[in-house]
Amino acid sequence: MEIIKTCEGNRLTIALDGRLDTVSSRELEKELHAAVPGMTELVFEFEKLTYITSAGLRIISLAKKLMNRQGSMLVRHIQPDVMEVLEATGLSAFLDIEE
Amino acid sequence: MDGAKNRGGRTTISRTFCRWLLLIVAVMFLTSMVFAWIHQTTMSKSNAAMLLETNVGDVRQDVIDASDENLLDLCRRIAQEVDKGAAAESSGLFRLMEDFDVAEINLVDENGIIVSTTHPAFLEYDMGGGGQSAEFLCLLDGTETEYVQSYRPTSFDPSLSRKYAGVVLKAGGFIEVGYDGERFRQDIDRFVINAAKNRHVGRSGCVIIADEEWIIVSDLYGNEGENLSATGIWIDRDSMPENEVFHTQVYGQACSCLYIYSEGYYIVAVLPENEIILQRNTSLRTMGIAEILLFLSLFSLVFVLVRILIVRNLEKVNRSLTRITDGNLDEVVDVRTNVEFSNLSDDINSTVGALKRYIAAEASRIDEELALAKSIQVSALPSVFPPFPDRGDFSIFAAMDTAKEVGGDFYDFYLLDENRLAFLIADVSGKGIPAAMFMMTAKTVLRDYAERGDTPADIFINANSKLCEGNDSEMFLTAWMGFLETDTGLVRFINAGHNRPVLIRNGTASFVDQKVNMVLAMVEGSPYTEQRIQLNPGDILYLYTDGVTEASKADESRYGNDRLLKNLSADFGTGDTACRKICGAVRESIDAFAEGEAQFDDITQVCLYYAGNPGEGDGLSGPDERNDVLTEQLTIEADEGNLYPLLGMIGRMLEEAGCEAKAKKQIEMAVEEIFVNVASYAYPEGSGDTTVLAEIRRSAKTAEITILDAGKPYDPLAKPDPDLGMEIEKRQFGGFGIYMVKEAMDAVEYRREGGNNKLTIRKSWT
Repeated sequence: MEIIKTCEGNRLTIALDGRLDTVSSRELEKELHAAVPGMTELVFEFEKLTYITSAGLRIISLAKKLMNRQGSMLVRHIQPDVMEVLEATGLSAFLDIEE
Repeated sequence: MDGAKNRGGRTTISRTFCRWLLLIVAVMFLTSMVFAWIHQTTMSKSNAAMLLETNVGDVRQDVIDASDENLLDLCRRIAQEVDKGAAAESSGLFRLMEDFDVAEINLVDENGIIVSTTHPAFLEYDMGGGGQSAEFLCLLDGTETEYVQSYRPTSFDPSLSRKYAGVVLKAGGFIEVGYDGERFRQDIDRFVINAAKNRHVGRSGCVIIADEEWIIVSDLYGNEGENLSATGIWIDRDSMPENEVFHTQVYGQACSCLYIYSEGYYIVAVLPENEIILQRNTSLRTMGIAEILLFLSLFSLVFVLVRILIVRNLEKVNRSLTRITDGNLDEVVDVRTNVEFSNLSDDINSTVGALKRYIAAEASRIDEELALAKSIQVSALPSVFPPFPDRGDFSIFAAMDTAKEVGGDFYDFYLLDENRLAFLIADVSGKGIPAAMFMMTAKTVLRDYAERGDTPADIFINANSKLCEGNDSEMFLTAWMGFLETDTGLVRFINAGHNRPVLIRNGTASFVDQKVNMVLAMVEGSPYTEQRIQLNPGDILYLYTDGVTEASKADESRYGNDRLLKNLSADFGTGDTACRKICGAVRESIDAFAEGEAQFDDITQVCLYYAGNPGEGDGLSGPDERNDVLTEQLTIEADEGNLYPLLGMIGRMLEEAGCEAKAKKQIEMAVEEIFVNVASYAYPEGSGDTTVLAEIRRSAKTAEITILDAGKPYDPLAKPDPDLGMEIEKRQFGGFGIYMVKEAMDAVEYRREGGNNKLTIRKSWT
């Protein structure tokens, strides 16, 4: 999976390309811890995210928890297969999602 | 020099020899010196005795000569007077006796009768009547004219000692004159004094002469007049025989002495002991030096001879033997300096010769056995081509050129049923009989499992564990085995560490891209993954062993993959002919490349030509039941690092079965969640394996995947579902994975079976 980070002031955009699975989740977790401090706005770009597992969900929740303290988080352009997982696990209810 | 080296603390011959020689020489030297000491001591003593005796004898003779001459002189003068008539009357003899101051004068007639005498008792005495007087009768038979006797007891009165002399008279008969000791001593003392004065015995010895009363008359040190006992000499004539050495202190010095009593004198010769010892010691010293020189030269001579004749030769022999031991059996031992070494050399040479003959005989026996083994090995491989002449849908050809020895390469092919051809190529590590035997076992084992109907993965898993059993010789083999579905052209294959085969399609050769598994017989429980390749009609699959790509020439460059691909990128035609052409062309290009360099490894090639379905309506064109079900089994260590190989296998299978994209992703997600769970929790202490069994049905559009682990019992389904409404801040993430699996799959089943956790998921798609 590819992680593309774009930073504009206090707004951080993370675009994920590929599969957010057990292995790539660890990578993402590292990136988050490194990049999130000081950010007030976090945007996840899921346009190219095709696959997600529970490990991926855990990282999304973690990011949400972090951002709840210092700003806001937005998840954009979620593909249907991934959306289905978010809904099935009830996580979508707690996220700000943009179509 | 090897031979001379002191090996392992043992001494060399020359050193041992040297030691013993030195010891013997020392013992000989000491012994001879002891003997010499004893001998020289005796010798010195007897020399001393002789010296003493000679000196005493000389002095005595001088004394006797002097007294004899003195008396004879008197006697002659008296005889002259008698001849002149002085003895006409008896008073004349008395006058003569007084004139000449002698003790006695006798006139003896022609008959030996004393006719006139100064001693009245002797008148008419017959000279033949006594031993002492009878000696004078020699004057009457005309043989002698003068006769003198030593000082001795007289015949008629043994208590009286006198010295007599006789001189023949002109008128016949003779005159006999006798005188006493004192009388002749007066005459000769002067002479006797001189006799001892100038005489030395040895260097510092001397002669002492004393008279009857022990008064010294002659002495080197001027002690004349002293008593003999004052010098330290004491002579007891009864217990001390004359002419025998006795020891005493003379003038305070230990001396050897010897005496004679003669003419009324004691003549004693004295020789200091220290002179005797000095003489002996001088002899001994001379002899010792001579012996040391002698033994030294003897020792050096023997040592040098031993060195030259034995040690050097031994070293030469040793050097040759070392070369022989190092494997040079053509080495000849040639030490000819003496008969013994010449014989030894001959013996060694003949032994080595015999050894060489035995080795040659043994080598030729082994060669024969190897040839036999090779023929057995080759005969075990299919060798009739074409093997399936009535099959139009494929052709197969194989060629094996073994290197000099029995090699470990082999190939095999057989129809498992009408529609399935198994074919394989393999290379056993090593060479020779062990490799050949291992090859036969491997070939049989693979065929057994294949004919039993196992899946390709199972065939390899089972064969691997069978070959690992009791494989003490640590051999292994690389193998590539394919299963061709003759109607569809699908080849399912397993590659266990073997070279990648070449696919020739439309005249272009390329390596079949594939996953390489562990070689066989190396690691017990290695996983083997089935792979597939779809052959189109006209495709050729070319299998080979490393004898092809690693064929080398003199500069050690290799034939290599690129050259192989280049040589295979050509149009070889079709069918059996194409296969034969390909194998022949590769072989030719290898030979051209090697430029005469000897082939060092087996060169084995298998070539499969796929012609495709030979015709419609033969009942083989429809989808085969077997081909409809894809099954694969993979055993891997339960570690997250193995996630992608597992997902890779599942993904490939699903893709091949035409699984719909979303279902595919869900199945992959489920497999991942379960596998990650097992990897994280099943083996809390250490690591263990997971086995994944996948069965995917193409036409039924179902997938059934079972994940097994031998870890601690755990039923993930027993856990309650997580609370989906839980706020994000309070969420705990355990349990979401398995919940997702349950949601996405059609069915999830847990069973604890035979010590294993067994989780099965099922999913169908549209």
